Order: sequence, then C-alpha cells, then structure tokens
Amino acid sequence: MSNSYIPVPMKVKRIVIEDPEKALRTYDLIFQNEEDRKNFKYMPGQFCEWSLLGLGESPFGIASSPTEKDFLRFTVNRTGSVTNEIHYLREGDMVGLRGPLGNWYPVEKFKGGNVVIIGGGFAFTTLRSLIVYLLEHREDYKDITVIYGARNPDLFIYRDEISEWEKRDDIDVQLTIDNPVEGWTGRTGFVPTVTKEIGPDPDNTWVVVCGPPIMIKFTLPVLVDLKFPDERVYTSLERRMKCGIGKCGRCNIGSKYICVDGPVFSLAELKEIPESV
Amino acid sequence: MIRIKKENISGFIEGLMSDYVLFAPVKDGETVSFRKIESADSIAEDYMNTDKSPKDIFFPPAEVLFSFDSGEITKNECSEKPFAVWGLRGCDVKSLTLLNMVFGTARQNPEDEMFQDPYWKEKYDNALIIQTACNDPRSTCFCNWFGGSPHDGEKADILVIYIGDAYLLDPKSDKGRKYLETVKNTEPAAKKDIKEAERLRAEADSSLSAVFELDGIVGRMSGLFNSGVWEEIGAKCVNCGACAFICPTCHCFDVQDEGKGKKGKRIRIWDTCMFPVFTAEASGHNPRELSKDRLRQRFMHKYSYFMENYGEHLCTGCGRCVVVCPVNLDIREVAKKVMSYQS
Repeated sequence: MSNSYIPVPMKVKRIVIEDPEKALRTYDLIFQNEEDRKNFKYMPGQFCEWSLLGLGESPFGIASSPTEKDFLRFTVNRTGSVTNEIHYLREGDMVGLRGPLGNWYPVEKFKGGNVVIIGGGFAFTTLRSLIVYLLEHREDYKDITVIYGARNPDLFIYRDEISEWEKRDDIDVQLTIDNPVEGWTGRTGFVPTVTKEIGPDPDNTWVVVCGPPIMIKFTLPVLVDLKFPDERVYTSLERRMKCGIGKCGRCNIGSKYICVDGPVFSLAELKEIPESV
Repeated sequence: MIRIKKENISGFIEGLMSDYVLFAPVKDGETVSFRKIESADSIAEDYMNTDKSPKDIFFPPAEVLFSFDSGEITKNECSEKPFAVWGLRGCDVKSLTLLNMVFGTARQNPEDEMFQDPYWKEKYDNALIIQTACNDPRSTCFCNWFGGSPHDGEKADILVIYIGDAYLLDPKSDKGRKYLETVKNTEPAAKKDIKEAERLRAEADSSLSAVFELDGIVGRMSGLFNSGVWEEIGAKCVNCGACAFICPTCHCFDVQDEGKGKKGKRIRIWDTCMFPVFTAEASGHNPRELSKDRLRQRFMHKYSYFMENYGEHLCTGCGRCVVVCPVNLDIREVAKKVMSYQS
C-alpha cells in the first residue's frame, strides 16, 4: 500500500535570497522521478513537509501555482534547526518532500466574484500561489485586489514579481509598511488599518487573509465591520505539525486537525473552533 | 461455544504460537504487561487489567518508519506471520477499535490510502483478537459508562470465559469461528458450563458501580471551554503525562530522526499533549502554554472532540489512569465535575 510517511526526492534548482538579513530564502524544487511529478496534484493554499534526513521535517506552504508546471516553490524563514539546515542547502542539493497536504483556498467558489487578498510579512507564500493561479484564470474572476504589508520595504518577498503585478491594470496591488521610510511611495500603516482605509466593497467579494497571528486577529474584525459575511472570509492557520495526515494529534484544535481539515478555514468555521485565533 | 479443559489450554496456546506471533499478559515483578510469548506457561493468570495497555503491540512506543543511508530510504519489512493477542480485556479490545478509526482509515475519505497508516494496518488488519471475560472487575473499572460490560465480547474475534475447571471459547467473528474450527481436543460447552458462565457474567455486572450518564458532555465541555473549571481540575496536575502513556486510546506521537551523518532512522515516538513542548513553535510562541490548557485538551479530546468526529468517546473505562496518577486526579471525577459545574 502507499506510505504517506516516506518523502520523495527533490533537487534544489534555484535559490533566491529575499531579504538583506538573508533570513528568508526562496527555493525552487524539481522532481527527480517522473511518476512523483505526475502524482503531485495540488491547489493554492496546500502545504508540504520538507524532509531533511537525519534532522527531521518542517511544514511549508506551497508558493508556486499548479499552473507553473516545472517546479515547486517555497520560501523558508530561518528559525529552528530544520530551517537553519535548509539555509545551508545549495543549488543542486537534494531534499525530501511529502505532500501535497491539507485543503486549499476555494477558488471554484470565488468564480464570478471579486477577490481581495490580504497578506503580511513572509506569510505571503500561499498567497503568491493564489494570485498566480487567479491571474492565469483571469476571465473567471472580477476585480482582484492585493493588500500586502511588511515591517519595512526590504521585507516584502517576491519583489520583482510584485513590481510586474503593479504594472498590470487587471490587478490592484496596495503595499504598506509599518512606518514611513524615505523614498517609499506606497502606503504606511498596519494591515488592519490600511484595509479599513481601502474599505473593499463586500458585495460579491471573497477575502483571503494570511499573515502573522496578530495581523489576522486584528484584520478579521475590520472585515466584519465592512460587512463581509463570515462565509466569504478565509484564512490559513498554522500549528506545529508532524505527520501531516491527521494521525499524530499535534495540530489538533477543537475537533479539527489543521493538517487535514485545514489549513484553510472560513471565518464561519473558525468561530466554531476553540483556540483557533 | 466450545470447551477446553484447564489442563489442555496450553495446547491451544501452542497452536496459536505456531500460527501467529502471539502476545499475551506476562508477569514481570509486580507488573503485568503484554509480551511476545515463546512458551505457553509464561502467561500470567491472576491479573485483571494489565498495568500497561496493549496498544504498544500495534503502535509501539518507538517505531522505525524507515531507515536511510546516503539519501536511500528503506522501510522495514513487517512480520510475515499475523499477530494474535490472548488475554485482552473488553475495554482494551474496544480501545483497539477506536485506534483503528484513527490509523486504519480517515474520517474524511475512508478509502483513500494516503490517510491510512501502513504501520498500524500491517499489524492490526490480520490480527486475531482473543478476549478474556472479566469475572472480577476492579474498583477502578467503568467500562459500563461507555456501553461495555465485563463479559461483552462483541468486538473481539473470540471471547474466552474462564469457569474454574475449563475455558469456554465463544467465536464472535468469522475470523474467530474459522480459527476455532481448526482447533483439536475440544468439546462443545455443556449446558451447565453455559449456566456457570451466565452466573459469572451476572456477578461481574453487578460488581461494577453505577453508570454515570455522559449524555450532553460534548456541549457541556464546549460551553465550559473558557470557564474556571479547568483551573480547578488541573490545580494538582503535575503534567507528568503518565495518564497518556498508560492510556489504551491516547495515540499522539512525535517523529524524530536518529543517526549520524547520512545514515540513520526516522522513528515515531509516543508523545502527549500534556507536555508544553508538544505545541511549542520554533518562534518561541506556544499556543497551549498553561498547564490547564493542556489538561483541557486531553479531557476534551477524550469526551468531546473524538465524539464529534467519530461518534464515540476516546475512553473505554479501563481505569489505568486512575491507578497511575501520582496526584489522584480521577477522570471519573473530572467528568462528574464538568457535568455539574456552575460557572
């Protein structure tokens, strides 16, 4: 029978350093076996367990879109022992990967509606996946608005790509930094405040919020004030995880396991789950 | 139902040993726990519930998921012979069926192999489960809270009732029936044997204390999530985790790598939500920082979350946690307190 605990081999094809402190690096991985590549069918919002044999595993959201066929993209913040080791990897090195795991942003439901994407810091990974996916299926959706905040201009990830989106007229990109900085022409202020200022129209609009817990906590009430129904606001939760297939119990909150029932939940669902936000 | 004379039971056990990898209760000093059996006379006789639960037969405390050497991954082959377990109590048989709900399938999509645990299935799916009826339940037994009773063997393959001079073997599944058909030196149970079994059953049933009704506990617990009840219950808890490790249904685990350089093993190890590190994140953030939060998680997983997901409580009333808790935190008292708490 199949064994979900065994990782498949992947080669690191490309590494991009995202920030001046080199704490954030983006990795493009490529499959080594054609069969593994074929079996790997995913949607924006899903995640994988990276496997470093001898050290352990860590879960990361998939930053590439299923419309990008040649690679899987991840951005890794150096925090613990596994992420530290990941930062020592060089192009050409091998890693193990398990996935895709979890559920995804309900892009089918979004069809025919406006989509507002609200992100903060380096939690922008699965949001990139979502944006690339939506732009690839542009005719299926109405207005697409992106509100993205970072502490300072250096801490936005995927800057080149964001610049490309800013030039397009079929996506509205609003960047904000916490405090004014010389030469910054975008907005300043925290994401919840900026969201309130922009005040997206809730009519026929879906929202996806992903960022640090504190940002999510203060952005959700803003959306409620703007009269977005709970069923049309989505976010992605994170907890410590191990197995990724709903067995080990680590990411259990309420009757849900974030790894299989999530990580994507609507605000309506979150209200039924204790300890979620 | 068939009858095997007491002096002939070792023949039956030896038969099991040749057909199966056999596990049975073994006495080791003061404690009794399930071990792989090499000879029929090593089986403990005078025990009620084993000190350690039998979950480690199918879900070992440390289990190698695979070995690796220079990037090459190898999964260990499992035993060719199927497993059989002799001497399980009804509560423990039920606990295995509860664990099978978690490891054997996925509640979202039962047929999807991606969510089936191969390590559990290769041991449990073909196992022969032989239960021993309880003639003399302990004061800490409360299987009757969860619909169980001392002689109820409906979830086993074979129910064994010890009637003093003989064992009565009652097949409860097709697997059990087929196996008993292959056993020699048996005779059909006599009317007086069945009568004696009925007497023992009634005696055992009446020795249990009254059922405490858990209807509505899911809603009660949810309503009390942010109340002071958890602080009150947990004030004396030392978060040692003994309850979880001794529990036949607690099944949380950690995954760790062991080895040096490019060679090593990936192992899963029993873990518990009672430990702070269980949810501690690399950033330093811990969503379940306080002792009372962790204790609430354990009791709510048992009596609320599992019921919501599977329609059963994740507790079989074996009473082991009541026995081992160093500060006498009695799970039955927790349930009673939750049901009567006025916030």
